[in-house]
Amino acid sequence: MTFLDWYREDRLPHIYCTGCGNGTVINCTLEAVEQMGWAVDDTVFISGIGCSSRAPGYIKTDSLHTTHGRALAFATGVKLANPRLNVVVFTGDGDLAAIGGNHFIHACRRNVDLTVVCMNNMIYGMTGGQGSPCTPVGAISTTTPYGAAEPVFDLSELAVTAGANYVARWTSYHVKELTKAVKVGLETPGFSFIEALTQCPTAYGRRNKLRQVSDMINYLRTNVILIQKTQRMRERGEAVPKDKIPVGEFVRRNRPAMGVPK
Amino acid sequence: MSKIEFMQGNTACAEGALAAGCNFFGGYPITPSTEIAEHMARRLPKKDGVFIQMEDEIASIAAVIGASWTGARAMTATSGPGFSLMMENIGYAVMTETPCVIVNIQRGGPSTGQPTMGAQGDMLQCRFGSHGDYSTIALCPSSAQEMYDLTVKAFNLADRFRLPVFVMSDEVIAHTRERITIPDHVEIVPRRPLEKGTLPFHGGDDGVPGFPEFGRGHGVHVTGLTHDERGYPEATDPHIHETLVRRLVSKVESARHDIADYEVVNPDAETVFVTYGPPTRTVKQVMHDHPDDNVGHLHLRIVWPFPERLLKIFTNAKTFIVPEMNMGQIVREVERHTCLPVIRVPKLGGELHTPDELHKLLEARP
Amino acid sequence: MKLVIDESRCKGCNLCTMVCPYHIFQEGDRLNERGIIVPKLDRPERCPNCRLQKLYGRRLCGACALICPDQAIRWEEEKPYEKHKVVIEY
Repeated sequence: MTFLDWYREDRLPHIYCTGCGNGTVINCTLEAVEQMGWAVDDTVFISGIGCSSRAPGYIKTDSLHTTHGRALAFATGVKLANPRLNVVVFTGDGDLAAIGGNHFIHACRRNVDLTVVCMNNMIYGMTGGQGSPCTPVGAISTTTPYGAAEPVFDLSELAVTAGANYVARWTSYHVKELTKAVKVGLETPGFSFIEALTQCPTAYGRRNKLRQVSDMINYLRTNVILIQKTQRMRERGEAVPKDKIPVGEFVRRNRPAMGVPK
Repeated sequence: MSKIEFMQGNTACAEGALAAGCNFFGGYPITPSTEIAEHMARRLPKKDGVFIQMEDEIASIAAVIGASWTGARAMTATSGPGFSLMMENIGYAVMTETPCVIVNIQRGGPSTGQPTMGAQGDMLQCRFGSHGDYSTIALCPSSAQEMYDLTVKAFNLADRFRLPVFVMSDEVIAHTRERITIPDHVEIVPRRPLEKGTLPFHGGDDGVPGFPEFGRGHGVHVTGLTHDERGYPEATDPHIHETLVRRLVSKVESARHDIADYEVVNPDAETVFVTYGPPTRTVKQVMHDHPDDNVGHLHLRIVWPFPERLLKIFTNAKTFIVPEMNMGQIVREVERHTCLPVIRVPKLGGELHTPDELHKLLEARP
Repeated sequence: MKLVIDESRCKGCNLCTMVCPYHIFQEGDRLNERGIIVPKLDRPERCPNCRLQKLYGRRLCGACALICPDQAIRWEEEKPYEKHKVVIEY
């Protein structure tokens, strides 16, 4: 079986725009799930609202497409009521950090045995391109026409501080590393958070001079820095470049988890 | 052997839920429903159930819905402010046809209001609170015994209609300690599982689909978007939306006289009290102190869907009197369904109607 | 195994041209009947997955299939006696 077999063939082609990073992240997640050897009947995908959250509608397993921001609360209910089910949550940057912020920090604190794949495209894509808490400072969106002025939420650092057992961040260009990170997250008991920076050429790219898919991918590729490199730079006393986003594995630990099947 | 116990309404509600097979409780503390959560926290882990205190009421109802999809009988308990918070996800439960039980111990409102005083101010909200058209079931206990019995019934109705069902109690009944009889056997009617080969959102003869539990190989996609009978989102097709919403409403409304639970005293009376919840006790006291064949009583235990045909049982009725602990909510339904004069007796402030008040009303009749 | 691009799904985003380590995917030049310029394959027999998946028994590389947002890339069994070029390494 390959990851392509997990898709509902009768629902493809999906609604995502040309070159959308979400399609890539779903491929990587399904490849990781396939490598884990999980059965279709024992896996449940849960999502909130947004482009990222349309994903479970295209996957063959049981799935729950819930209300905006509340996917983690629903997932806590599902996992605790039946710990044998493998629960994976798809969510987006607005869904998780804005309206879902409270549920995010509590799910990390409780360390429920879930894996959350957050497709961070730095914008509210489905509704037409409004700013999100992860929109970079100075970026144009429909609700920040003079450039975003608010500081950016660092979702991975937030997850580390709130207590998640495994946190990693990659982009949708780094498909192999992302697949491996999701797989480690699926294996690790407790709350695993994988943030995937994705390209949104239609809502974000078009307003920020990155309309071509290749331009946005190059932007993602060049503006990241490996987290091990930032650690080495700090040890050597060099200044870490502030405009580059660290990617890699942030934390892997063994805090006590809830909902792990006995 | 049935047992006699002395317990408050909240405890009776929790015990009724446990007897009905409740094995998941996700809640948030709020006066006056906290005792239900505390009792479940003590009892559920011993019965291999799951109790979790969520971070807010929105998360509570979300966890309850999620747990229900794995086959658990799930419930939550809250009061006015938490009920308002839950409205979006209640709409989600209605749209996805998730069975669950929501207990609302009503308190003085609006907003923070009177946390320790009773009221019946959420009755219209439980029917119309979430956005969009839908229909729902609400049960109103008027004693600790009814808290036990109606909670059991709520679980059975939730599973039968694949719907969130409300137990609309209030602080007075919840915190009153009374004698109750715990039956040795309660009837549990579990949800009908989905048969292989049937579509997960295709209503049977009664408009209710079988339930596709997670983990059984159904591969069901559950969404709050308008969906077709396979569960796939089809948000722009007018015909699919109309069919879906009409089925969600009619599966409850068409059964409203079938499930009606009520008590009738003096059906030949000319003046009839229509009550639900605590005013029932006041009316019973009045009729006990001043027996009069011309005064009748219709006590509704299931208020929504409103069973209007019951009003016709009183063939000689000339007036309806509806005492409520609000500014007049269910009385609108009575007014709507009869041409006879209807007298409203609103009571605000948290105290019950006194028997003297109601008796003076009866004396003042022409 | 041979590489196949599903033209009913491809939307011409050209992400595959950016990730293939062998530059097998090149930007196409003709519009198909859906109005998309589908990438063309330059000597696809160089793809290690095509040549060696049977030998190793698992997916090798496969970055193109993973990155394609429309799930338009897959490997198919070749029909028996289908003509294909073979690359010899020494």
